[in-house]
Order: sequence, then structure tokens, then C-alpha cells
Amino acid sequence: MSADSLERLASAGKGDSTRTLLRVIILLLVAGAAISSRLFSVIRFESIIHEFDPWFNFRATKYLVANGFYKFWDWFDDRTWHPLGRVTGGTLYPGLMVTSGVIYHALRALSIPVDIRNVCVLLAPAFSGLTAYAAYLLTNEMTPSSSAGLLAAIFMGIAPGYISRSVAGSYDNEAIAIFLLVFTFYLWIKALKLGSMLWGALCALFYGYMVASWGGYAFITCLLPLHAFVLICMGRYSTRLYVAYTTWYALGTLASMQIPFVGFLPVKTSEHMPALGIFGFLQLLAFLDYVRSAIPSRQFQTFLWVFAGSIFGIGLIGLVVATSAGFIAPWSGRFYSLWDTGYAKIHIPIIASVSEHQPTAWPAFFFDLNMLVWLLPAGVYLCYQKLADEHVFVIVYALFGSYFAGVMVRLMLTLTPVVCVAAAIALSTIFHTYLKAKSPTPEELLPEESTDGTSKKASKSGLRASNKPYIGIYATFSKVTIVGLMTAYLLLFVAHCTWVTSNAYSSPSVVLASRMPDGSQHIIDDYREAYQWLRQNTKYDAKIMSWWDYGYQIGGMADRPTLVDNNTWNNTHIATVGKAMASREEVSYPIMRQHEVDYVLIVFGGLLGYSGDDINKFLWMVRIAEGIWPDEVKEREFFTPRGEYRVDAGATDTMKNSLMYKMSYYNYNNLFPPGQAQDRVRGVRLPDEGPVLNTIEEAFTSENWIIRIYKVKDLDNLGRDHASASAFERGQKKKKVIKKKGPRVLRVD
Amino acid sequence: MRTLLSFLLLALASAVAAISTSGNRLLVVLDDVADKATYSKFFADLEEREFKITYETPKSDSLTLFNLGERTYDHVLFLPVRTKGLGPNLTPKTLHDFVNAKGNILLALSANTTTPTSLVALLSELDITLPTDRNSLVVDHFNYDITSATDKHDVLLLPPPKPIRAGIKDFFSEGAGTKLIAFPRGVGAVLGNGQLLNPILRAPRTAYSYNPKEQAEAVNGDDLFAAGQQLSLVSTMQARNNARVTVVGSAEMLQDKWFDASVTKLDGQPVVQTFNREFAKRVSGWTFQEIGVLKVNWVEHHLEEEGAPNDSNPEMYRVKNNVSYTISLSEFAWDHWIGFNVPEHDEIQLEFSMLSPFHRLNLKEESHRLAAVHYHTVFTTPDQHGIFNFMVNYKRPFLSHIEEKNTVPVRHMAHNEWPRSYVISGAWPWIAGLGSTVVGFLGFVALWMYSAPVDAGKKVTVKKTQ
Repeated sequence: MSADSLERLASAGKGDSTRTLLRVIILLLVAGAAISSRLFSVIRFESIIHEFDPWFNFRATKYLVANGFYKFWDWFDDRTWHPLGRVTGGTLYPGLMVTSGVIYHALRALSIPVDIRNVCVLLAPAFSGLTAYAAYLLTNEMTPSSSAGLLAAIFMGIAPGYISRSVAGSYDNEAIAIFLLVFTFYLWIKALKLGSMLWGALCALFYGYMVASWGGYAFITCLLPLHAFVLICMGRYSTRLYVAYTTWYALGTLASMQIPFVGFLPVKTSEHMPALGIFGFLQLLAFLDYVRSAIPSRQFQTFLWVFAGSIFGIGLIGLVVATSAGFIAPWSGRFYSLWDTGYAKIHIPIIASVSEHQPTAWPAFFFDLNMLVWLLPAGVYLCYQKLADEHVFVIVYALFGSYFAGVMVRLMLTLTPVVCVAAAIALSTIFHTYLKAKSPTPEELLPEESTDGTSKKASKSGLRASNKPYIGIYATFSKVTIVGLMTAYLLLFVAHCTWVTSNAYSSPSVVLASRMPDGSQHIIDDYREAYQWLRQNTKYDAKIMSWWDYGYQIGGMADRPTLVDNNTWNNTHIATVGKAMASREEVSYPIMRQHEVDYVLIVFGGLLGYSGDDINKFLWMVRIAEGIWPDEVKEREFFTPRGEYRVDAGATDTMKNSLMYKMSYYNYNNLFPPGQAQDRVRGVRLPDEGPVLNTIEEAFTSENWIIRIYKVKDLDNLGRDHASASAFERGQKKKKVIKKKGPRVLRVD
Repeated sequence: MRTLLSFLLLALASAVAAISTSGNRLLVVLDDVADKATYSKFFADLEEREFKITYETPKSDSLTLFNLGERTYDHVLFLPVRTKGLGPNLTPKTLHDFVNAKGNILLALSANTTTPTSLVALLSELDITLPTDRNSLVVDHFNYDITSATDKHDVLLLPPPKPIRAGIKDFFSEGAGTKLIAFPRGVGAVLGNGQLLNPILRAPRTAYSYNPKEQAEAVNGDDLFAAGQQLSLVSTMQARNNARVTVVGSAEMLQDKWFDASVTKLDGQPVVQTFNREFAKRVSGWTFQEIGVLKVNWVEHHLEEEGAPNDSNPEMYRVKNNVSYTISLSEFAWDHWIGFNVPEHDEIQLEFSMLSPFHRLNLKEESHRLAAVHYHTVFTTPDQHGIFNFMVNYKRPFLSHIEEKNTVPVRHMAHNEWPRSYVISGAWPWIAGLGSTVVGFLGFVALWMYSAPVDAGKKVTVKKTQ
């Protein structure tokens, strides 16, 4: 290759249009990478909806597509939360379903026949491409170099922290919400920079979309006022801030109140009060600004003190009165648990029982973000150096995002965008510094130093690096080392992301994969087997009682009404189910009758060693039930006197008599030779005598015993209690009533 | 249309079911087929009611209650047998399954023979307890037939049983006049407190049960099986599936000689005819589902709102809807369906319930057709959404159980079903505020646009600062 052609190649990247073209191509490639890395789950398994919540979203989407928007809006779902029903249309965030509905109908209009399931499965990957682009836009607002934006885009595209909620099939609100989050932030920065009403209105529009999509919108609702507040405290109040904030707040709040589930929350709950407060505060500042320009400064001082003091006092009293009178709802439990991670465990077991509400373990940060973790502080530091309004935003966001991500596992998701942005800024700065082809020669510097004698003296006592600052950095050796190292880190990062995505985040959890001894993949499909059994063998309105984890799946896959599901809005109802599971049969049966339960479904992992089963979740059921009926269900009685949670022969009587225990181990010892029944999850040997069930009977057990379904017996036809009825069935003779002591029991008519 | 249909059905039903509602295959189990002569009038009465009677001895090989999982008989009548066991074809389990398969059993006992163990086991499952001694007998020294039981006092004479409380239909004593029921040499049973059990005929207050062989001299109070009204002479059990089991304490009362006998009570009272024949007919008729059988012809509910569609049995209601509910009931009287009239002092009730009843309303008789009575009510659905049941739960002694459940979801108000804001007077200040803001803003804009700037130069500087 001649030097001439090299020259031409080098100059090719310099033209403006070429750069744009390159950027477009790179962004397209980034989107392609983001999408394709999320397709592991489809390739490994199949095009299937994952986990729990997505099954509800999928079901709601099908309802929307079949019945149209208004029916969906007013949807009363009589197949969940039996017999309470759920005002589903008014208690969900419709953004996700409406988005896929629109895509579905648009594709139909273009005469592309597509299954709604595939739209739902592939929605999250498609939106991840858009998120990458939004990250690019946001980063470009921070720094003039577009390479930072491109880096942010690729980080956003493949960071596992975001992939965890957006693989194909993970049809959850977060799938589109993260895009909206990042894009809303971009629009906010844009509006703030320009002081533009138009951008502010756009920001409000996307904020409205975000509110329609995810409960995490409160993060924006709190972060934007916080940013504004920090700016004001830094003395950076400006008309730009005023215009951007008030436009966003007024329009955004109106937009958010259109969602039935949100309704009047923005003016009623404490979570939304900061936004309102800052809104009022900005009005005051604007007013003061005007007053200051109108009256002399001495008078203004007194005016300011009196005015500020009285406003603060009135505001505080107003807040206290409104909260105590009930106009403003007090902080909700989920919110408290953000400050005190132990709060939920003590007061609201239902929140603590969800694994994604647990505090984050530190390896999770590295697992989800890899090298971005240590690039984040560097990026934040660089933001401090410039410290324009938008950099303050990154700093505030990084601080709060890190805190919340440390408190709750699922909030890792909201931290990821800022980590990507900050890391991209840091990394692009490194590359900019070390990839400059031309280095200033030492001669250029010499005259400068000689003219300034004092500085030379002072620097002599300092470090060698500061003495001759340019030599080290511009040396070819350091350039090659640093750039090489960084490239290696980047490659490792990509490898890590791919590995994490393929191994940790691509399992549908509806289908379990295991390895055969010869290394081939074996699919354990008990869930779908059982749900299919329900669908084919039970009445259309047979009510299924199960722990709430499986509610959405039963609704989605088996299409049968459930008592409780993953939308845990009614703690009492969940506690009722917990009580039925944790009590003796004689106590459980009336509860099941009252709730018209036809079948009980439990998950049992003892045969396979599947640890996520109901016996392991059982203590949560007990705790939640105890929260409502402290006299009837007691957690202590499920532990042995030595404080052990046992299921073998040493289990407590309460444990052995509980419906859950009986259902789990019913007939289980028949699988083994006598005396060798073994629970492979708990790793214990079970007693020889299996439990006896009177009020329910086994209806179905899946291939690997993961799902067991029991049918609730009807009242005995002859009016006996179930225990004696089934004793008769087993052929046991009724014990002769030997002369009873005490007075005769007389019949009263 | 509905009435026409029900008439057609009625015509069809009355043409086919000229006898019991649950079939006419009757099995009689007795010791010796020749014994049936002593019960000839009773059997003649049954045959007249079109029962096809098969006579079998317990040990017969051809005797089987089930064939390929289906009942081979609709009703079984057990007469006393001398053997202690009933053989492999009539185990307690088989009889239990027979009842669960809606078969009816009429059981006649006798103080002279032991009750077979399999029947005792079945009865103990039903919570009907028989005396443990094999020869126990009910006697009454104040109500006995002086002609036939002068010494032993073991032929009880009882007035036909009246309902024990108001609001229960009288099936067994109607038209009896002064006739008495003779209850010769019978066994009394003790019933548990279950709601499915009901005695038809109780012993008088002065009767008691004893074993003439072991307790010939005196009866120790502790050893007394039961006495007075706790002794049930003719007892019934109606299972939840409406299968009926009746225990007649004395088989002898069904025999020909007691059907037309004349009896005299103590105190030189006049000689009266026994009521046994009619009583036996009614007891067997009740057991074999010929009387006291209720059925729900149809249930209809619809929206009772002005201008709303009036479809029958809609899938869903809304909160605070007016809803009309009608249920049509018929009763079987020996050979045809008639309309069921709720007895006096009794009410049939509708519950509108979710977990617990939100409404419990008395149903009013709306119209009386030839073979059906329609009960009806109108009510407002509660202000609570959920999955509700229209529930009619009517369970009375000697009537088949009615448990009619119709599930309807009650939905919340849709977004466009609330009154518009301008209808609500409380909203007027806010609407006025809205209007004034719009007008004010437009006025301000107009003012702004049409007021010329004082100084063109100043405007430029203002722009720059922004």
C-alpha cells in the first residue's frame, strides 16, 4: 500500500459528511450488537415469554389486541384475585402493552402477518437498540467528542445490568422504560441547556410515556427536582432552569395524571412532593429575582429574610397538617425500605419476600457492570472538572443511582445508564489523550519554562511527573501501553458481557435446562406440562390456589382463575392463602371452600434438587400469614426447639400437619425403597410414614415432581367429616363408640 | 317463549315420569322370596306406582348393585333377614357407593332378627346408631295396643307425625284423621346432630328401648339405650346429592296384617283403623323420590335499568346496577310436577355473595304457572366489584336440597360511565376557573401582541440576555 493511499484513507475520516456516515454505521452496528446479544434465549430455548410478570403483560397485551383500547382501559379481570377480581385496566402501567399493540397493528397494516407473541418476545431487544441511541445522545450533551457518545452507546447496548431485564422474552415494563428514562434525561438536559419550552414540553411528553410504562418513573420525578435544587444551591438559578423545569413539571404532571393507576398520586403522595416543592421554590426565586431588580438592595435583604422565613414556615406547617390530615399519603413501605434495608423484613414481609427487593451483594456490581464500575468515578471526576449544569446532573444521578442500586437489587437497572455515560466520558478522555498522533516537542515547551523562573523552582521540589509533564504521556511507550491495556479491557468487557448474557440472563425460568452426563442439554419442562394439564383437564372456571409467585403463569399459560398473583396489591388475600398453606387441613379446608378453590398447585423440588420450591418459600407464607393472624399462625412453631427449620422426622408437629408439608411429601416415600426417601434440596432423609391427606386428593404430579396439583374434595355426601370419610374409604372400621363418660349428646331439633 | 318452553318440558316430563323421578327399578332384599306374601299389599301398592320389583336373597349370585360402574337398580328395599352378614355383594362400601351414585335405600328393621353388620356399618357412617343388643325393643306403657300387646306393651300406637315446627311441609300426617300408626316390635335408633338426618316418626315421651332378655326385670339408667323423643322410630337421611336413606324401625308395620288392623289405645278409647298402609306408601314414596322432590326449572337474571339492554343472564354486571332475579321451582307429587309453594312461615331466600353475603333477600312469589312457581326479586348490586354469586340455598327437612349458584362478575364503573363534570354542581367553581384561565391567557396574549414595544433597542438586549 503506498503512502498516498494511506493519506487518502486517513483524510477520509475527516470530512463532516463522512463522519456522519461513519457515526450512523457505527450506531447501526451497536444496535445490531445490542439486539443480537439478547437473542441467546430464543436460540437456546425458543420464542417464549420468560419468568413471571411478563406472563401478565403478555396476557394483557393479548386482551388489548383482541378487544381494543377502550375495553382494555376499562378491563375488569374476573380471572385473577378470585373472588375479588382486579380492576386491571386501572391498576397497570399500560405503556408496554399499548406499544406492542401499536407495533402489532402497524405491522398488520403493512401486511406483515406477525404473531403477537413474537412482537412481545422481541420488543425488549428492539428497544435496547433505541436505548443505545438515547445513551449516545445523552453523552453527546456532556462532552463535545462524539466518540464518548458512541462508547456510551455500545456500553449501554451490552452492559449486563441492562440486559438482565431486556433479553428476548423478558417482556417486562423495564424493556421500554429504560429507553424512556435515558431519553427523558436527554430531553431534560437539552431543555435545560437551551432554556427551551419546546424541549421542555418534549421532555414532559416522554416523561408521560415513562409514567405510562413503569412505576420507576418516580426516579425521574425525584431526580429532576434534585438536579434543579442542587443547581439553585450552587447559585446557578437562571431563566433557562425556570423555563425548563416549570414546563416539564406542569405538563409532565398533567400527563402523568392521565394514567388511571397514577391518578391523583402526584399531588397526594410524599414521593411526588419534592417535585412540587421545587416547582413552588422556583416561582419564589423568580419572584425574588424580580423584586431584587425593583427595590434597593438593603431593603431587599430584610425583605428576603422575612419572606423566605415565612414561606418556609408556612410550607412546613402546611406539609405537616396535610400529612396528618391524610391529604398527603405518608411514605409507603417500599419507600421506607429504600432507607432502611431492614425495615421491610420486620414490617412488611411481602416486600422482603421478593428476591429483587433485597439489598445488592457487592459482587453483583462487578457482575453486572464489569469494568464500568471503576470507570464511573473517573467519569464523575471528569464531570467535576467541567461542572456545567449538565455535568451536575451526571454527578447527582451517579450519587443517587449508586445508593439505590446498593439498597435494592432491581435498581441496578437505573444505575446502569449513568454508569455507561460516565464510563464513556472517562474512556473517551483516555483515548483522546493517548491516541493523539502528534505530540508537542520538548522544544516548544522550553522557552515557556525559561521565561517563568519561579515556577521552575517550585516545580523542582514537586514530582517528576509534574516537572516534565508532557514527556511521560506523549512517549510512544506509554501511549502503546495504555491504549493496549484499554483495548484489552474493552475486549474482556465484551467477553464478560457475552458470557453473562448467555449464562445468567437467558434462561426463561419457565423451562429449566440441565446437562446430561454426556454433556448434551436436557430440558426440564414440568411447568408447562402441569399448566397444560390444567388447561386440558379442568373446568374453564376452576379456581387454582397457589402461592402468588405462580399466579401470572397460571393465568397466562393455564388460563385458569387464580386466588393471588404477582400483582401483590392485597396483602390480606395473600395472607389468607399463606394461612391455608400453613395451617392444619381442618383449618385450611373452610378457607378453601369459602374461596371456592378447586385445585391447589404447589412446587416441589425435592426429587430433582430444585431449590426454588415452595417448602423453601414456606417461611414467607408463614410470616405473611402471621402478620394478619398472629394468634393462629406462629412462625416459631415451625422451628424445632433448637431453632432449626427441619422437614425430616425431627420436624415440629405444626410443620408436619401443615397443608404445604403434607402436599409436598404426599406419597413421596413410595418412590423410594422403604426408609430411604430422600429430599434432595434439603438433603435429609424423610420419615417412613408419609403424610395422610383427607380434604384434598392428588390430581396431578409432573414428570419430575416439580409441580404437584391437588383437587379439593367436595363436602362429604353423607355429611361426615373428611377424616372419617377417608378412613372409611381406606377400609378402616369406625371405632365402636364405647360408652361415653358424662352426659349423653342429645339431638336437638 | 320461556313459559311456552317450560310448558313443553313439563308436558314431556309428565308423559315420561309417571312414577318416581329417579327411576323405577326397585330391588327388594329379603330372606326368602316366599316371604313376600306377608308384605303383598305393600308390594302391590308399589307395583301400582309402576315400580319394577326384583326380589333377591342376600346370598344370591345374580345380586349386584353395579354393573360396569352404572347402577343396576334405582332403589333398594331391605327387609329383615336372619343371616348376620349380607355377603360380598352388599358390603358397606357398595351401599355407600350406591348412595353416592344417587341410589335410594329403604331399610326395615325388626326386633326379632339381628340387623346385618353391613347395614349397621352403613348406618353408623350416616350417624344413625342402633342399639348394640340384638334383641332391643321399643316399648311404651302408655301408648300400646291393648288388643294385641296386652302384656308386652310392644305394639306402639302413635298419631301420624306432624311437622315439629312451623314452616315445614306436612308429608306424613295429612288426611289421617283419628287414625293411628301401629308400630309393632320395632327397633328405635338414635340420630346424631347432623343436618342431613331427620326423624319422621319419633317415639312418644313415655317410650324406651330395652332388651327383654337381659333387662327383663329392670332397666338400669346407665344401661338405657335411649328413651322418649330421642328414639327415632322412622328416620331419614338425605345425602347432599339428594339420595335418600330411610330406616323403618319395624318391618312388621309394613305387613298386610297391620295395614288394615283395628287397634285400641289404653283407657277404653274407641277402636280405630291403623294408618299404616297410607303411612307406608308415603314413607316409601318419599324414599323413592316420589314426593318432596324439588327441581329448579330455570334461573334468570337481567339488568333492570331504564334504557339498558334487557338480555337474560348477562355475563357481567356493574356496581350499583338494578338487577332482577327469578327462579322457577317445581315439586314432584307422586306422578307429576306441580309448582312449589314455599310452606307458610317459611321463606326462600336469595343471597348475593362474595366471600360473605352482601344481600340476603326474601324471594317473592311472582307468578304461579301450572307446574312451576316463579320466585322473584329486584335489588341493587353493592358498591363493590368482584366475582359474586347469586345463591339460592334452600335446604329443609324432607325436601330435596336446592343449592343454586350462578356466578357473575360485578365490574367497576368504566371511565365513561361517571357523570360528566358539568353535571356535578360541585365542579362548577373549577370549570369556571378553567374558563377564566383560558380567557385570561388569550387576553394576555392579545394584549402582548398588540402593545407595541416602547423601545426597539431595549428589546434586542433583552433577547441577548436570554
